[in-house]
Amino acid sequence: MADLLRVEHLTRHFKIGGALSRRTLYAVDDVNFHIGEREIVALAGESGSGKSTIARLLARIYKPTAGEVFFEGKPLSAIRSRRDGLRYSGLVPMVFQDPFASINPVFRVQHGILRSLKLHRTELSAKQRLDEAARVFEVVGLGADMLQRFPYELSGGQRQRVGFAQALAMRPKLILADEPVSMLDVSIRIGLLNLMAKLRDEEGVSVLYITHDIASARYVADRLIVMYAGQIAETGPIEDVLAHPRHPYTQLLLSAVPDPRAPLSVAAETDRGEPPKVIDPAPGCRFRWRCPLAIDTCAQVTPGLAELRPGHDAACHVAQTSAEEVKAFT
Amino acid sequence: MRKVQSSVPDTPVLEVSGLSVDYLLDRGDVRAVDDVSFTVSRGEFLGIVGESGCGKSTLLFAVAQLLAPPAHVAAGTVKFEGTNLVGLTDKQLSAIRWRDMSVVMQSAMNALNPVKSIGAQFKDALRAHGKPSREEIATRSAEVLRMVGIDPVHLKSYPFQLSGGMRQRSMIAMAMLFTPDLIIMDEPTSALDVVAQRSLMVQIKELQQTYGFAVIFVTHDMSLISHFSDRLMVMYAGQIDELGATKTIFDRPRHPYTQGLLEAFPSIHGPRVPLKGIPGNPPDLAMVPTGCRFHPRCPHVIERCTVIAPDLYPVDGDLVRCLRCQDGSLS
Repeated sequence: MADLLRVEHLTRHFKIGGALSRRTLYAVDDVNFHIGEREIVALAGESGSGKSTIARLLARIYKPTAGEVFFEGKPLSAIRSRRDGLRYSGLVPMVFQDPFASINPVFRVQHGILRSLKLHRTELSAKQRLDEAARVFEVVGLGADMLQRFPYELSGGQRQRVGFAQALAMRPKLILADEPVSMLDVSIRIGLLNLMAKLRDEEGVSVLYITHDIASARYVADRLIVMYAGQIAETGPIEDVLAHPRHPYTQLLLSAVPDPRAPLSVAAETDRGEPPKVIDPAPGCRFRWRCPLAIDTCAQVTPGLAELRPGHDAACHVAQTSAEEVKAFT
Repeated sequence: MRKVQSSVPDTPVLEVSGLSVDYLLDRGDVRAVDDVSFTVSRGEFLGIVGESGCGKSTLLFAVAQLLAPPAHVAAGTVKFEGTNLVGLTDKQLSAIRWRDMSVVMQSAMNALNPVKSIGAQFKDALRAHGKPSREEIATRSAEVLRMVGIDPVHLKSYPFQLSGGMRQRSMIAMAMLFTPDLIIMDEPTSALDVVAQRSLMVQIKELQQTYGFAVIFVTHDMSLISHFSDRLMVMYAGQIDELGATKTIFDRPRHPYTQGLLEAFPSIHGPRVPLKGIPGNPPDLAMVPTGCRFHPRCPHVIERCTVIAPDLYPVDGDLVRCLRCQDGSLS
């Protein structure tokens, strides 16, 4: 599978505190991954783990402190002209978390789509723009009559479909979806997840699905990237990662997923730790304070990703040195 | 024989009967909670689940008598330890509030006062019910904070200095200042990550088992309380759709809406199966469908459902609002 997008040593720091402060928050720190064509990649992690920063870096809202993003082989830093910038944001649009805040409430819902078509697909006539808007509405499961509605007439699920329709109108290659279902009701979520799978299977679009909900990630995604404190803890084919989680943090995350189908029991040992704020970090594993398996090396050397199973990498000294699978949390 | 006193362990802590709440709006009254009856026993953990707009938060506010206009109780009673709270004055209510019944709100970020330290907020609550000495305040505040696993040094901290999980835990500590008989929780974990959420749930359950208070826990996430609640109440469009033991409902959901909710969760275990969710959207409470309120979204709808409004029928020990569950044509 050809790489659609490749991220190399992506790093983003934020200066925090007052003007004289020298403290730096390492929001994203030396992150490497790729997204193939027709692929849904789930990016999971706690709040503050850097997943939304990655989405913003990929959307060119932030500039990286270091590292590079390559889209179809070309570095994003080479985008200079407004034309190239527009072309890129049309190919890699974003769908936002809050469907109530991301659509302009004073215009009919067609407004956003028609405007982005005018901006991004200048070859279309006004009539063709309307046809195209109706087509993408059909694809996302909204009737063409919905185009004339105002946002307040739509439910949360319908609004989020409008968000996907807007993205789709630009003929994207990759949709950056930042927690697209977390604000929706449970009974509505599945429909949106099915829509993402449909966009991949029928429209050939890749999706970076950012979420903290591992179960929904498993439902739609092909691969999983687990972030912890600005770095990738583990990545691989999603079924393999869930069946054989090697990083203790992934194990902790999986053990915490509420699942009515699992046996009714309350785990005796519960992790009460919290993810660190990564301010001017010293070397060492950032999970070590919460990790029951931590060894001396973990406090000295930052673990890098290493392949432990086919296509499945984990950044953990213990997992990398032990022959069999070690469980820190079950 | 005289009515049993509230101190007898068998009396329910809370008895809600025929409770209806209306919002008085210009375009007409909207009934957000419609004829809801249930009891909560001493030390029981009752889960209330439903989607946004199903009336679950309004119900909680009615139970705690926190409704503000345009909402008001149109009918029914809320008996807390034998006293009907509906119609009590604020003064009478404030004797009960926090001492016997406390509330943990959804967002600790907004529920805590941002310009006062945690300790000062505890002090306010303690002073509202009596005249504790400075030492008593300090001891009790430190004690409840330790109960929820927070170091008492944080009594000096302001809410912004604490993480989301710690804020939510200090809200729970505050709710336990007087060891009340009932703590009402409105989605206290919804702003937290799964790991923090899990640890908070385990903690609530442990505290509940140690101190024996009853909990009403409202959430939209059914899977979250599956391991914690004793009984479960599923709400749809302002009404109870199903009420029964949590285990029974998860093992054998009867109402098509409950079934749909349970099938809407992807799992991290077992085979990956395609899910459908529930088609359509929850109804606008100003225009509820005729007959069964769920019938436009129900996969098992028959003609009768569109005209007859079902009651809550007892089906094998549970209560189910479904005509087809009652006559046995659906099981």
